[in-house]
Amino acid sequence: MIHTASQTPSGIPPKAVLHETFEDKLNRWRFTYWPDHMLGELLAKRWMETAIPVAVLLLVALALSQILPNFFGPTNLADTGRQAGEIGFIVLGMALVMIVGGIDLSVGSMFALTNFCALYCMHLLKLPVAAAVTITVIFGALLGAVNGVLIGYFRLRAFLTTLITLIVYRAWYDILTTEYATAIAGGMPDSATWDFVGAGAWMGVPTVVWIYAAVAIFGHIFITRLRAGWHITAIGGSRRSAYNTGIAVRKTVASCYVASGVLTALGGVFFASRLSTAGGDIGVGLEVTVLTAAVLGGISLGGGKGSVAKALVGTLIVLLIVNGLTSTGLDGGYNRMVLAAILLLAAVVDIRWLKNKHRIVNKVYVSPTYHGMPPAPSCDPQSGTQWALNDKLRPALPIGLGRIEGPEDVILDHKDNLYAGSRHGDIIRFLAPDYQEMEIFAHIGGTPLGMAFDKQDNLYVCVGGMGLYMVTPDREVVKITDETNRNFKSINDDSRLRLADDLDITDDGLIFFSEATVRYEMHEWATDGLEARGNGRIICYNTNTKKTHTVIDDLIFPNGVCIASDGQSFLFAETWGCTVKRHWFQGPKAGTTEIVLENLPGFPDNINNSSDGHYWMSLVGMRCPAMDLAWKMPSFRRRMAKQVPRDEWLFPNINTGCVLKFSESGEVLETMWDLGGENHPMITSMREHRGHLYLGGIMNNRIGRLKLEGADPNWSQYEWRWAKAAKNSKGSA
Amino acid sequence: MITAITEWIDRQLGRGSASITVPVFDGALKSNRYIEDARVLATLDAPEDLATDGSAVFVADGSKVMQVLPEGLLEVLQVQGTITALACIPGGGWALGIDGQEVRIEGGPHHGRHWRAIGGQPFCAVNAIAIGANGLLMVTDGSTELEYGQWKRDLMSLGKTGRVFELDPQSGDGRLLAENLHYAFGVCSVGPHLWVSESWKHHVLDVGAGARCTPITDDLPGYPSRIVPATGGGAWLTCFILRTQLVEFVLREPTYRKRMIAEIDPAYWIAPALNSGNTFLEPMQGAQLKMMGVVKPWAPPRSYGLVVRLDAQGLVRYSLHSRFDGKNHGICAAAECGGYLYVIAKGSRRLLMIDIAQTEKELIQ
Repeated sequence: MIHTASQTPSGIPPKAVLHETFEDKLNRWRFTYWPDHMLGELLAKRWMETAIPVAVLLLVALALSQILPNFFGPTNLADTGRQAGEIGFIVLGMALVMIVGGIDLSVGSMFALTNFCALYCMHLLKLPVAAAVTITVIFGALLGAVNGVLIGYFRLRAFLTTLITLIVYRAWYDILTTEYATAIAGGMPDSATWDFVGAGAWMGVPTVVWIYAAVAIFGHIFITRLRAGWHITAIGGSRRSAYNTGIAVRKTVASCYVASGVLTALGGVFFASRLSTAGGDIGVGLEVTVLTAAVLGGISLGGGKGSVAKALVGTLIVLLIVNGLTSTGLDGGYNRMVLAAILLLAAVVDIRWLKNKHRIVNKVYVSPTYHGMPPAPSCDPQSGTQWALNDKLRPALPIGLGRIEGPEDVILDHKDNLYAGSRHGDIIRFLAPDYQEMEIFAHIGGTPLGMAFDKQDNLYVCVGGMGLYMVTPDREVVKITDETNRNFKSINDDSRLRLADDLDITDDGLIFFSEATVRYEMHEWATDGLEARGNGRIICYNTNTKKTHTVIDDLIFPNGVCIASDGQSFLFAETWGCTVKRHWFQGPKAGTTEIVLENLPGFPDNINNSSDGHYWMSLVGMRCPAMDLAWKMPSFRRRMAKQVPRDEWLFPNINTGCVLKFSESGEVLETMWDLGGENHPMITSMREHRGHLYLGGIMNNRIGRLKLEGADPNWSQYEWRWAKAAKNSKGSA
Repeated sequence: MITAITEWIDRQLGRGSASITVPVFDGALKSNRYIEDARVLATLDAPEDLATDGSAVFVADGSKVMQVLPEGLLEVLQVQGTITALACIPGGGWALGIDGQEVRIEGGPHHGRHWRAIGGQPFCAVNAIAIGANGLLMVTDGSTELEYGQWKRDLMSLGKTGRVFELDPQSGDGRLLAENLHYAFGVCSVGPHLWVSESWKHHVLDVGAGARCTPITDDLPGYPSRIVPATGGGAWLTCFILRTQLVEFVLREPTYRKRMIAEIDPAYWIAPALNSGNTFLEPMQGAQLKMMGVVKPWAPPRSYGLVVRLDAQGLVRYSLHSRFDGKNHGICAAAECGGYLYVIAKGSRRLLMIDIAQTEKELIQ
């Protein structure tokens, strides 16, 4: 049956019999327009970890705005802001210490001492504001350094050490206040700057909030984007592993406690300016409030997990609750009990969420969609069509039997040496003419897939898991590209290449290659098959401008690519879509896509030229009725993905396959099978070279070599391509 | 009412009766290759059942009954229609199930006796006959709706119309012993008890007086078929097909199941089969992928060969297997005679012979 190219770019020719019932049509409609996949991608985002604390914050704010009428009025807000800023600095310090894997119980006492220091400098020594602040900050640093040296360098336990410093600092503070309290109360400083620090505002927002915002933004950049911040997170994750990779663990840990001291001192400065009191109970129990804020925000007590956003959210929750409950006139004891209860609840929920997040994401991420196809053409040996099963591949002789593992694609150079990828990340070369001697031509890593030669005999390879690479004739491995432009319709960051599959090169040096899926890694190809969503794309790399951009999106596992005879278009196969399409990138039809073959009885893989002007293509697997029906029922597949273990899923059957030759106009000319599946059970690629056909399979342990009767014994794909290109450019010149 | 609620909760959580897990092959059920490596006596056209009178073994092949002799097979009886069950009557003669719709006695003192219905309900899928106490014939009828060859359709439609009868060759009477079983496929008297394989419930029942049926075995990993008594007490239980989690899942998916039954040829259903690997149109499960030319023997199988040796209490003593990478699948009948176990592997249409003493010595250390 001759398939003619359709006029509509998207679809099935109008006469196809689809066998779609009414439920199928409904399913098709519902799954095309409702983006189920976005839920899984959203939940997989890192900032979703803060989801629960933010939800709690919004709940608390909502509840308080209902209970207390003027809670969010401007004066109240400013006052809350001031308190939040002061505590916020301390929570930031505590967050830093917790991320590095420790804890700092002495923040309350340090707060009291640095508050005293600021007051001493301003009220008694009458120093200028800048000097007072600097001295206080250095004093805080020194206090923190005591903790830092003991915990970072002497390896003492954080809890015990900071408990001891809590007691020592508190004792020292009590001694100091007894001596100087009255003197401080008597000597008020006469400094407008000092008043501005504590009580001033700019554009309605208190000073402390501005400073806090600046510190918080710097802190966020520091933790997430600067190397020192990564070191802190690494130490918190695993101190021993961080030490083994060469991170200066002791210095970093000590610095974190110093930073905690510095931030506490900042908080103390603002508190001193605002309230100017050195009472006996300042900072008592502050460490509990700060810890509550940190844990409520979602910072893990075990270390290695935390962010500035979490610290901020925790601070706000705690402050709103405390202020709100105080405004309702609740006694201090009840206040603390309510806070403790909310802490318990939020911590339990948050811990459950953090522990099970990846499991929930796994269950929700797989989003199968409707994929309906007409019944497959019959391959019955008695059918008399080109698809009839035969044994034409039986005479193929093995190369490298048991020595090569996973040659997905094979290619030969003009000296007839044979190159193939292997699953160890090597490009293996078999030397002509008998292909017995085998050597590692180059080691790239990943899984080498499709290959092509350019005019300078550089070997371009699509490497699954890495991107597009090139191996020069001198065996030098060069990375060509591993990223493309980000598609903002996708929540996943798809700017990196996950599964570059096959490529071909135009006469002008444009490289078109397929990326099979953006939602799954290489080893999860079967999950993508279960989804049958248009997750793949065709990308173009321009060797002249060195720029990469995406050409076509939303393809169902695009695989083989081959430049067509006019040099202005390329053919590409969609594996789960069971189609071959043609896309024009130049000329009058530029930008259009047409269907060349559709409703194939199997899954098309690589496409390469044949010596008689047609194309070779492999079918890596064959369709079966049970899978075709399952593809029309996405909810069935989703339940199967959730309830049935992966080894027992219904898989596309890639245990068997064939090689076919087709014409550019969409006619299947012949098919070649290995009926028993003894020699070549699965075929992902074939390459015609000097009258032989070389077969490769990604799960095979051999390469096949079949003599083609009547084929041109001197023809080689890239020799012919580049000779034709040279003739064309000479002719046009 | 309570059961309905608990069943609904189980369905939501995927546990209890709604769980799709399958018992693992461990302990006495640990996999081996005894059936795969067994000696092949003959490859037949359409072997169905085995019977023994203690000294000779007979195999029903299509419409013929053949005796197994050291030099080969000798045809001893030919009937009209396909034989679906065979038993040797003590005192001479055979009891045959013909086309699943008739039970007939050929040879011996009761030659010519036949039954086509019990209590007004005609036979539909007679698949096993055994000799009970006092020379009575015990017969199982798999389903009242679907004929013998359509067992797969009965499984995927969750059939539960199996029956067990008792027929008296002397008087010609018949008595219904149990009904509404989830496919009865195999019956055997073990001591004073009557054991019946309830296939789709994957256990063996003890049918007592008043149609009271109690399961005698645990949940089995396979769907049991014909049972025959074993010397030394207990029985040999054949499992003609195996359970897999995917089939269990599909059995709990009514929409997909109904469409599959309506739209797809039964040979290509997601359902167990007597043999597999014939065509790519059969569904494939993930672990069945061939890697570097090698297929895992422990992959979830579409067809399997399993014979289990039960003791008198219904516990498994040991088992004989042909795994995913083998050919002797679909063990539907067995007979023990002269220290040897004869089995029919319907998937490869072979008659196999296994030395019991040797096997027991190796399996039971």
